[in-house]
Amino acid sequence: MNTHHSSGIGDVQFPEPVINSRKLQISIVWLIPLIAAFIGGWLIYRALSERGPEITITFRTAEGLEAGKTKIKYKEVEIGTVTELTFTEDHSKVLVKAKCVKGSETFLTENTRFWVVRPRIAVQGVSGLGTLFSGAYIDVDPGTPGKPQYNFMGLEDPPLISAVDPGRRFLLKADRRGSIEIGSPVYYRQIVVGKVISFSLTPDGSNIFFNVFINAPFHQYVYKNTRFWNTSGLDLKLDAVGFRIMTESFLSMLVGGIAFDIVDTYEIPNEAPGEDESFVLYSSRDEAQKKEFSEKKLFLLNFNASVRGLSPGAPVEFRGIQIGEVLDLKLEYDNANKIFEVPVLIVIEPGRFNMKKDTNWKEKQNVIDYLVEKGLRAQLLTGNFVTGQKFISLDFFPEAAKAMITHGGAYPVIPTLPTQIEEIGSKVSRLITKLEKLPIDQIGDDLRHAIKGVRQIANSSEIMEAINSLNSAIREVQLLTEQLRTKTTHEVSDVIKQANLSLAASQAVLEADSPAQYRLKEMLDEITDVARSLKELAEYLDKHPESILRGKGYE
Amino acid sequence: MYQQSLTAMNSSLVSCSVCHLLVKKNVHFQTARCPRCMAMLYSRKPESIAKTWALIIAAFIFYIPANILPITRVTSMGKVQSDTIMSGVIYLFNDGMWLISLVVFVASIFVPITKLFIMTFLVISVQSRSTWRPKDRTILYRITETVGRWSMVDIFVVTILVALVQLGALASFEAQSGVMFFAAVVVITMLAARSFDPRLIWDAEEP
Repeated sequence: MNTHHSSGIGDVQFPEPVINSRKLQISIVWLIPLIAAFIGGWLIYRALSERGPEITITFRTAEGLEAGKTKIKYKEVEIGTVTELTFTEDHSKVLVKAKCVKGSETFLTENTRFWVVRPRIAVQGVSGLGTLFSGAYIDVDPGTPGKPQYNFMGLEDPPLISAVDPGRRFLLKADRRGSIEIGSPVYYRQIVVGKVISFSLTPDGSNIFFNVFINAPFHQYVYKNTRFWNTSGLDLKLDAVGFRIMTESFLSMLVGGIAFDIVDTYEIPNEAPGEDESFVLYSSRDEAQKKEFSEKKLFLLNFNASVRGLSPGAPVEFRGIQIGEVLDLKLEYDNANKIFEVPVLIVIEPGRFNMKKDTNWKEKQNVIDYLVEKGLRAQLLTGNFVTGQKFISLDFFPEAAKAMITHGGAYPVIPTLPTQIEEIGSKVSRLITKLEKLPIDQIGDDLRHAIKGVRQIANSSEIMEAINSLNSAIREVQLLTEQLRTKTTHEVSDVIKQANLSLAASQAVLEADSPAQYRLKEMLDEITDVARSLKELAEYLDKHPESILRGKGYE
Repeated sequence: MYQQSLTAMNSSLVSCSVCHLLVKKNVHFQTARCPRCMAMLYSRKPESIAKTWALIIAAFIFYIPANILPITRVTSMGKVQSDTIMSGVIYLFNDGMWLISLVVFVASIFVPITKLFIMTFLVISVQSRSTWRPKDRTILYRITETVGRWSMVDIFVVTILVALVQLGALASFEAQSGVMFFAAVVVITMLAARSFDPRLIWDAEEP
């Protein structure tokens, strides 16, 4: 063991310890790159974990879009950024590549729609004004859930309704477009409740289909018997009722619109329409209001006078209730009778009035025959004196000349009465003739004679004589009284007796109930009567000139 | 030619880094202090190379987010624009302000990355005891140290704009996370330059 040591024990040389000059401990400064690496790693992790799907949207133009700047937003929340703008292979479209945030996969389904929000002035109003300053952005309507998709066709115009909007679509059928535009409002009692989404021709080109969307909760007011009508523009109407201007709103005057309601007040709302039920779009409210009467009966009316003011569509009324309308009118020359006639074709819809007991038309036809026999006549009346619009009135004229319904031609012919003006004219002329025939001169003469007679009676000699004899009697009485003073009282009494008698006689003549007096009075009374009744007649004629024609008795 | 020169190091002396007093080198000099000013005594900056390396690596790491992430976000009339340093330079250049864009480019992009590469080069050259042009390398170091602080201009501009441009809906200016990383890059490179001891360049000349 000793050999191990090079020197002796007294002079022991111990080896120097190896001093490790290098410090083993790591400097604290290395924490800095460690932290940097940690932050960097965290940034990378975040960038990777927040990386959402990349999508491609095809647009016709990239107007306003900028790579790296333009955002994709849903409800104004950013869900992505445009990263690249390229072209399709044929250069016809623009491919917009965009990076979406994580979690936006739920937005990217086959039902998702993208469109560029730019400032826009359209029917529905001005939109996207904010983008005037901020630049365009791409908006998203996620639509209903569906299969995931990463390539999209962008819309050129914003969709009118978002898939998440509550409401319902309805299909309307019309034969004309009117001035309805995509986006035109739909009104319910003049409230905007929806809009027109699209319109298209039916495959055979005969009709136009309108797709309208009615927002909740208004869609529940659409029932099976609801009617839709076009409210486009201004509805100016000049008819028997007068001059009318109708419009749903100022906007609809400009851009058109559709209104709906249950137009018939007697109808009650019934159940909701079926899923694929389509409605008829009527051209106006009146059209919509017209009941569809399945039962129609055509009649012909022949008028001999001017029908100016009567036009197709004019109402046919019975006692003021419309029961039909004029279909057509024309002028006809009857060579056989050498007269002009205006046959007016009218339609009467028996559904417009209620029959107490349901009967079939066969019986009703007999009823018409019967009614005509009872005096049912058609007459042309003026509905509006300002505009001169005329309508056909049916009514009973029991005293009219007997006539029968004519079944010979294409349509049964209901007899007519002359038009009112014509009738008035003839009545007036008849009145004048009658007035002319009145013996007014003679009446005057008679009256004069009567007065003369009265005067003659008053001046008659009998009266004079009576008065004279009365005078002489009185004179005799005077003589008597004088004689009485001179002669005997006996004589006097005789004389008085005689005087009494003569007084009685004269009294008989002068008394109220004397025949002379009576006759005189009677005559005067009669003259008074004549004068009064003449006055009454004159007054009555003044008030009721027609009584000359009709007599006085009708009440 | 300086090989026979007398240096503190080869005379077993230590020059105080603060008051420059020459002190005898002690075995335990790692904990020694200057008897005059009580400053730490060391011949060379302790762990200079390791520290510099650490800081350079940290700066390199931060340099990436500093340039990728946006440094500012300008909201003007509803239009939002986020800019990174490079996009800002391009924006200024496209706007015709090519001089400003050049200044920004030099101060914010060119200088920091150049500094980092110079520092890396210096550290590697010292580690490999390279004797290649020590004087030029020292000049390079001095330039690096002097010019480094100017990169902070960008940070100051952003800071001032954030404070000034707050016009509500009309325009507002916000700093984004990129600024933090950029500031970190600038500060860490400055620290790296400070932790590097240029005397190490000359140590390679010693026998």
